[in-house]
Amino acid sequence: MQTKTKSERFIWIDIMVTLLTLELMDYFYYGVRAVVLGSVCAGASVVAELVCLRLMHRRFTADDLTCVSDALILSLMLPAVFDLKVAALACVFAVVAAKNIFGGRLNMIFSPAAAAYVFLYTSWKNQLLMFPEPHVHTGLFEKTGNLVSSASHGFNITGKMDVTDFEILLGNVSGPAGAVSILLLAVAAAVLLFRRSVSAGAFIGSISATVLLALIVPASVTRADSVKYTLVTNMVLFASVYIIADRRIAPKRDYYAFFYGFFLAAFSYILVITTAKENAIVLVSLLFTPVALGFKNLEKHIELTQLAEQEEAAKTAASSAETDGEEAAAHEE
Amino acid sequence: MKNKKTAMFDGLLGDNTVLSSLMVISPVIMCGNTLENAVALIYAFSAITFFSVVLGSFVPKKLPYAAKIIISAVIASIVYIPVRSVAREFFPEVIGRVGIYFPLLAVNSLIVVQSATKFSRMKRGSMVASLVFYILGFDAVMVVTAFIRELFAYGTIAGRLVDADTLVSGLGLPFGGFIFLGLLCGLYRKLRSASGRGENKSGGDGNVSGN
Amino acid sequence: MFLVTELVTLLATNLILTQALGTSTLFIAAGSKKNLLWTAVTITVFTTVGSGAAYFVNALLPDRFADLTLLFYTLIIGAVYVLFLTALYFAGSDSFVTTRKYVHVSAFNCAVMGTLFTITDRADAYPSLNTFVNFVLSGAEAGTGFILAAFILTAAYRKLNSAKVPASFRGFPAMLVYLGLISMAVYALR
Repeated sequence: MQTKTKSERFIWIDIMVTLLTLELMDYFYYGVRAVVLGSVCAGASVVAELVCLRLMHRRFTADDLTCVSDALILSLMLPAVFDLKVAALACVFAVVAAKNIFGGRLNMIFSPAAAAYVFLYTSWKNQLLMFPEPHVHTGLFEKTGNLVSSASHGFNITGKMDVTDFEILLGNVSGPAGAVSILLLAVAAAVLLFRRSVSAGAFIGSISATVLLALIVPASVTRADSVKYTLVTNMVLFASVYIIADRRIAPKRDYYAFFYGFFLAAFSYILVITTAKENAIVLVSLLFTPVALGFKNLEKHIELTQLAEQEEAAKTAASSAETDGEEAAAHEE
Repeated sequence: MKNKKTAMFDGLLGDNTVLSSLMVISPVIMCGNTLENAVALIYAFSAITFFSVVLGSFVPKKLPYAAKIIISAVIASIVYIPVRSVAREFFPEVIGRVGIYFPLLAVNSLIVVQSATKFSRMKRGSMVASLVFYILGFDAVMVVTAFIRELFAYGTIAGRLVDADTLVSGLGLPFGGFIFLGLLCGLYRKLRSASGRGENKSGGDGNVSGN
Repeated sequence: MFLVTELVTLLATNLILTQALGTSTLFIAAGSKKNLLWTAVTITVFTTVGSGAAYFVNALLPDRFADLTLLFYTLIIGAVYVLFLTALYFAGSDSFVTTRKYVHVSAFNCAVMGTLFTITDRADAYPSLNTFVNFVLSGAEAGTGFILAAFILTAAYRKLNSAKVPASFRGFPAMLVYLGLISMAVYALR
């Protein structure tokens, strides 16, 4: 039990370290406004979590700080100039409706960050998908006049990207800062996989499906471009690390997690190339929650069957040993 | 033993039509997003349910369950005709907006199932009184839901603009209805258990046929 | 690719997730896997046969008697209900007692009646859809959508009824919020 608690906390620390690094990149590109956005999200989440736990007569422990990582994941998917009040509202929605109504961190069903993102997508879509240009620093209460659509949007429509690979790696393209810093994300993915803080099966499944489909049904003129751009756009890498491979949501066994990630990414890739739906992977991750739950139910069923078989085998062994003992005793007599 | 008088009010508070018995959910989710819709649906639901159940109480109790259900549904479908004609006079625009949910009120669980089970066992006088409170239970939930959803989704109250700063347009959509009703239902249970009116139940606790 | 497109269409036209039709019936159906399967199958029979019959009602009923549509639909469902019960009775009187409850639950509800009205509305808007085959297929599709929604709910049934869920939200309220979040994802994908 203690080991489990410890590992939960270590996972959270690992994830927080990588998220804070991405937040730093956000600050570099968009200034203090991006940091304030992250802080507001984290603050709103903590307050909402405290109120929920109070209402459920539970104590706030260090483990409940997972709401902060969820809030940071959400803030990194938003434009740096996103309305602070709405961002806070989304965090409250995530903590209340997508998490604590179902029993909180002990009984997770949805990824709170994904649920909050879809919540924003359905009510504030225009604001959510318009971004400031990189290096345009906005003051706390200023409004940015010149907002542009994301590089992902351009890619979905034209199948091309007019930026160099170096700029893509550094995240010097329009879009949510956390999700476009590809080099940093790749490092974060490697660290989290190495530390077993995210589900390797789900992450590999998601990336494999994207690469495979990008090769079979290219979204660009060349297959190489298709693979490259598909991985770096539409928050594929970011969602694969922080949402799909979230250990609280993905199936426990890597084998099942792989298929969960694979189907989810394949579904969203097809949606992107058929409907040009921006960031489809985040929307699909919410829709695929029943699939993850189905796999988890299957895992539990298999575990129970194996346990029953082991018990049966143990019983048979015990009874045969008993019979052997009786026979031996009879022989001795 | 439950007091008879208290049991009569059950439909409004203790055993609310929507929040406890899970009946007539879809019109609340789909059309309970403006007060204008709510008023039209309250009128239709109240009129159809009241007359259908009262007329249905004259159906012989010895008939098989299936026959009683079919007769109740047929009576409601006949009552629906004049109710719709009147609605066309008073709520011409709302009828179009409410669409298929208007006729669907005639096959609500209160008419189809409860009249064949619960109401058929009661004396006519107490049945009518109990029925009125069940109808009021639906009406109350509809008004509360429509008021809050309209205010926060569209920034209006009965179609009049109010000074709302941040609007959540999703609240006016079906998924907003699902989530809002779920939250309202949880709040209702919390209040009910706080007032000591019974234990919390788990899902699917109502006697429903599915509306 | 075709499968994904079809699945998205099935979700986008799903009566429960997009129109909240038959939500309570779904909650009952998801109570156990056996209930789920039989209720879903029975509802599919009702929607399919009912839609086929609704085509003839629409074709034969003059426009000026449009208010009688509900009455005729009720009679159709009533007839299917009686036929179904009779067939079950003669098929096996032993299993009749256990299987008739699914027919009772499935006959008169928003899922079935809503399907007939939805298909009729769609046929009014797009006259090319006003064919007998389309009515039957749409009825079957609505039933399939119900089965899909039932599976979505069943996957989370254990978690939604877990002791870890606050008592006030355990069961029905949690199911509503769960369906709401899935419905939100479907809306976002449309």
